[in-house]
Amino acid sequence: MGKNKIFTGTPRENRKDIVLCLIAFLIAIVFLFPIYWMAITSIKVDTDIFSKTLSFIPRAVTLDPWIEQFTDAAFLTSLRNSTLIALFSMTISLVLGIPAAYAMGKYRIPGGNIILLVFLVTQMMPASLLLTPLYLTFSRAGILNSYLAPALAVASGSIPFIVITLRPYFKTIPKSLDEAARIDGCNAFSSFIRIMIPTIKTGSITVLVISFLHGWNDLVYSMTFNVNADMRPLTANIYKFMDKYGTKWNSIMAYGAILVLPVILAFVFLQKYIVGGLTAGAVKE
Amino acid sequence: MKKKKKIISNTTIEGYCFVLPSFIFMLALIGYPLIYNIILSFKNYDVKTFKGNTSVFVGLDNYATLFSDSTFWLVMRNTLLFTIACLIVQFSIGFLFALLFHQKFKLSGPVRGLLLISYMMPMSVTALLSRNMFMTDGGVINVILQNFHLIDQPIEWLTNTKWAIRTVIIANCWVGIPFNMLLLTTGLTGISTEIYESGKVDGANSFQRFFYLTLPLLKPAIMAVLMLGFIYTFKAFDLIYIMTGGGPLNSTDVLGTYAYQLAFSQYKFSMGSAVAVVLFLCLFVVGLFYLKMTMAEEVD
Repeated sequence: MGKNKIFTGTPRENRKDIVLCLIAFLIAIVFLFPIYWMAITSIKVDTDIFSKTLSFIPRAVTLDPWIEQFTDAAFLTSLRNSTLIALFSMTISLVLGIPAAYAMGKYRIPGGNIILLVFLVTQMMPASLLLTPLYLTFSRAGILNSYLAPALAVASGSIPFIVITLRPYFKTIPKSLDEAARIDGCNAFSSFIRIMIPTIKTGSITVLVISFLHGWNDLVYSMTFNVNADMRPLTANIYKFMDKYGTKWNSIMAYGAILVLPVILAFVFLQKYIVGGLTAGAVKE
Repeated sequence: MKKKKKIISNTTIEGYCFVLPSFIFMLALIGYPLIYNIILSFKNYDVKTFKGNTSVFVGLDNYATLFSDSTFWLVMRNTLLFTIACLIVQFSIGFLFALLFHQKFKLSGPVRGLLLISYMMPMSVTALLSRNMFMTDGGVINVILQNFHLIDQPIEWLTNTKWAIRTVIIANCWVGIPFNMLLLTTGLTGISTEIYESGKVDGANSFQRFFYLTLPLLKPAIMAVLMLGFIYTFKAFDLIYIMTGGGPLNSTDVLGTYAYQLAFSQYKFSMGSAVAVVLFLCLFVVGLFYLKMTMAEEVD
């Protein structure tokens, strides 16, 4: 390692630190190998992909598989759909979920426990249970093959997550803050918007990112409600693209890598928010 | 709600105003479908009766058909096997990771964060990636195993009925391990170091400290992670749907994928609903325990 400068304890502590770092490093290499594999496969040239022997380091690097995706009209449509469904469901979730979390955290209302129970229960519902009824209902309402249908369904999973994650944050805000806002002429609503939400910035960023990713990661709702491939997001069009590319794994992996990119970006820039939020909510769709 | 404070009705109304929109939304998007789904499972809804709007109640017929179908029992067995195997593997490894990353060292934070990527990325991509890595001929897993001389013949990871279920279990554990690690690390952080210090003073070795201090104190976190893990694993869909589509020969079909297949590939909506109700009832039993525990914590 030769970087002993960064270790600043007694020699015994330093040795322990180095050993633990090595173990963690090895775990990361093994555990994250699939991500590495996806990344390098996506930049391999065709001859490398179809060669009989596997290469763990690309023999030549090309960006063609990526360029191929971004110049493909069907891919761009799916990418747009993914983005819009994610933004749409995120907006619905935040607009409905944050005020609910505020009410559950700050107000003691009759029946509050039952309402909280409903949020906890809905968090556990399997998508399979909702699919058929929602499909039939959305079909009658004429909103199949739209952004609204998957966005609504995904939001029904994100809202309980937001309530459970943000409730503890709102609980910690002292009552006096709201009272002061009221004296300064705020009503309940403007105090909530202008004072309370900015106060829990960390939690707000967490739920914003995670509820976006819920929509971005969704497969089952988009696939079921949007039969029309032009309205499907990237996740739901995977089979279609696999048929198209067959064994051209570099193109398929580029497709997958683009889908993972927002998650990686979120982790690079917002890690502390996400880790903290996931811990509090412990929810994944 | 033991000590009910006197509430000014104005405040109560404000509270309801904040919570009611989302509460109504949840009732419409979850409560209504739940009831609708149960009703559907007692009717003969399929593509014909849906178009003509001529469905009728058939009592328990769908359930009778289901329970006399050997495929359903295979699917049930797969679901239980999948869930229990995943729980054991991801909990054990997740626990070891949690114990490791609970130690204070330079890389602990960043590496722990990186491991979470597998948990947060779309399951459909995990499935796509698995299909590539677990290919029989020239798949990277087989190549590595053969290079280390761990196997002579390539394993038919996804095409052999015996192996396919194990392969989806492995892929799902890759997603579940960070989740278990995260929740258990949080549990460990909650245990005060003073308890360990006094344990040391009392002469307990690290083995004793683990079994007599860490484990009992961690029990709530362990219970939570096992129950949540059960709920999320039992209702698996995305990963299996893209990885194997339930095949080969239903060998990886679980209740979630089977319900989907019945409803949206064969358009037997009512049969799909019946499977979904079975899935729901199984979750409900475990869910009750989880809720009892969570509500005890949440309500002060």
